[in-house]
Amino acid sequence: MSGGVSMRVAHVEQLSPLLRAFTFEPADGGLVHPVGPGAHLRLLLRGTSKLYKNAYSITSNPDDRSHLKIIVRRVPASRGGSAFMHENVNVGDMIETDVPANLFPVVRTARRHLMVSGGIGVTPFLSYAAAFEATGMPWELHHFCRPDEVGVFAALLSGLPAANIHIHAGPSFGALEARLTRQPLGTHFYTCGPQPMMELVLEMARALGWPASKLHHESFGGEAHGGAPFTAVLNRSNMEIEVGAEETLLDALEAAGVDAPCLCRGGACGQCMIEVAEGTPEHRDHFLDAAEHASNRYIMTCVSRSKTPRLVLEL
Amino acid sequence: MLVSDIKSRPLYSRLRFDPAGQRHLVISDAVRPLGDVIDGVEDTQAPIAFWTVVGRDDIDSAPNPHPLPTNGAPIETRAFRAASHLFDRLDHRLAQESVGLRLYVMGEEGFIWDVMRRSRAAGLEADECRSMHAGSLSRRVFCVHCKTMNERVTLSIAACTGCGAQMVVRDHFSKRLAAFMGVKADAEVAGELPPIEELFP
Repeated sequence: MSGGVSMRVAHVEQLSPLLRAFTFEPADGGLVHPVGPGAHLRLLLRGTSKLYKNAYSITSNPDDRSHLKIIVRRVPASRGGSAFMHENVNVGDMIETDVPANLFPVVRTARRHLMVSGGIGVTPFLSYAAAFEATGMPWELHHFCRPDEVGVFAALLSGLPAANIHIHAGPSFGALEARLTRQPLGTHFYTCGPQPMMELVLEMARALGWPASKLHHESFGGEAHGGAPFTAVLNRSNMEIEVGAEETLLDALEAAGVDAPCLCRGGACGQCMIEVAEGTPEHRDHFLDAAEHASNRYIMTCVSRSKTPRLVLEL
Repeated sequence: MLVSDIKSRPLYSRLRFDPAGQRHLVISDAVRPLGDVIDGVEDTQAPIAFWTVVGRDDIDSAPNPHPLPTNGAPIETRAFRAASHLFDRLDHRLAQESVGLRLYVMGEEGFIWDVMRRSRAAGLEADECRSMHAGSLSRRVFCVHCKTMNERVTLSIAACTGCGAQMVVRDHFSKRLAAFMGVKADAEVAGELPPIEELFP
């Protein structure tokens, strides 16, 4: 299921040349759906030639149901959704969205929260921090960004207690490593940002004895790199679709007009799983476990590709 | 019915040091050599604390260096006169600790889950704690009717020390209470009890 919630663009703010914030209000007035910290909003954007389905972390305070706010980073080699948001969406426009969902919730039994973000990956932590402040929960945020963007992110975080926030210009993780060695037992660790940064800080935490149960990461996008082109054969729709080197299987399905299931588009949520009838998938998702990958019975269309020239799907 | 595959029944396996641990705390409810409690001492570099309950009143609970030669891990032992004495020290230690600690417990079931309950309260998760049963199989039984804890129950039917109810000792284990559930056995017909067996020696 997708769509179903109509929202009006109430406010647009250009935070930097690449960052644009959008505030949505319900088209019919009233309150927005309740969301928890870390929830995301998926927008259905009707471009001239294509329907974009892009999910963005909700940055507004979960307690305030008057609106939902997101921040969109313009990605140079994007699938087009972020460029569409920057160029075509203005105050007063109506946007169709899904009901908000949450794949990156706060651990409610934690006594303290340590967050590590990179670049635009800070967005879920804006709602986390608002929720923690509301309940007096101890927290600490380490944000990593390019030196020229320190000012932008400092302004974005300026409404929160400065003592809890550490902005690091560039990939220098020594100070974070020192902090990871002395966190009280009830602390949970969350990271969101570029995949290499998340892998680095998660590995750093594991090496310092952090157990898997206390490590959490968000993995929107970034996994869908290109690969060898292949042909997707749809058994039920009786179609053959060419998947190019630079596009994902899901993008190719959508471009051909197939209403394929999807949600996170990052190989994390499992919504886009399709049964494989013939051929061997090249698995790139985090949803299936090792045994399921080895069975080659299912594929996550948003990130995974094909090892064989043809991949026959039950779709 | 009593020996069931009920899912809340805890499972135990032989203890081994987790190589990811930065500090290790090993706890035993009786005097045992460290090597009998846990495997992998010789492969461990991180500091080890080994706490035991001795059950005597002439015990000095100051920390002592451990006599066993190992390949580098500093080992510190502490003896405690009773379990409650150890629990006080444990609460204090966990409040000072940081993420990276691993906890290991060997002992009777009630003791294990008293330690686990304290460790969860201090913020440790299940994958930071390991446990192994040793000693008597006797059960701590919680009377679901009057909420009295009955220690060292060895029979399939036991009289509650609080309300006198004849309780069936179920396999249903509460990690929160660190006890098995006891339910009135003759609720339908007073005095009509199944045969009593010694199930938990």
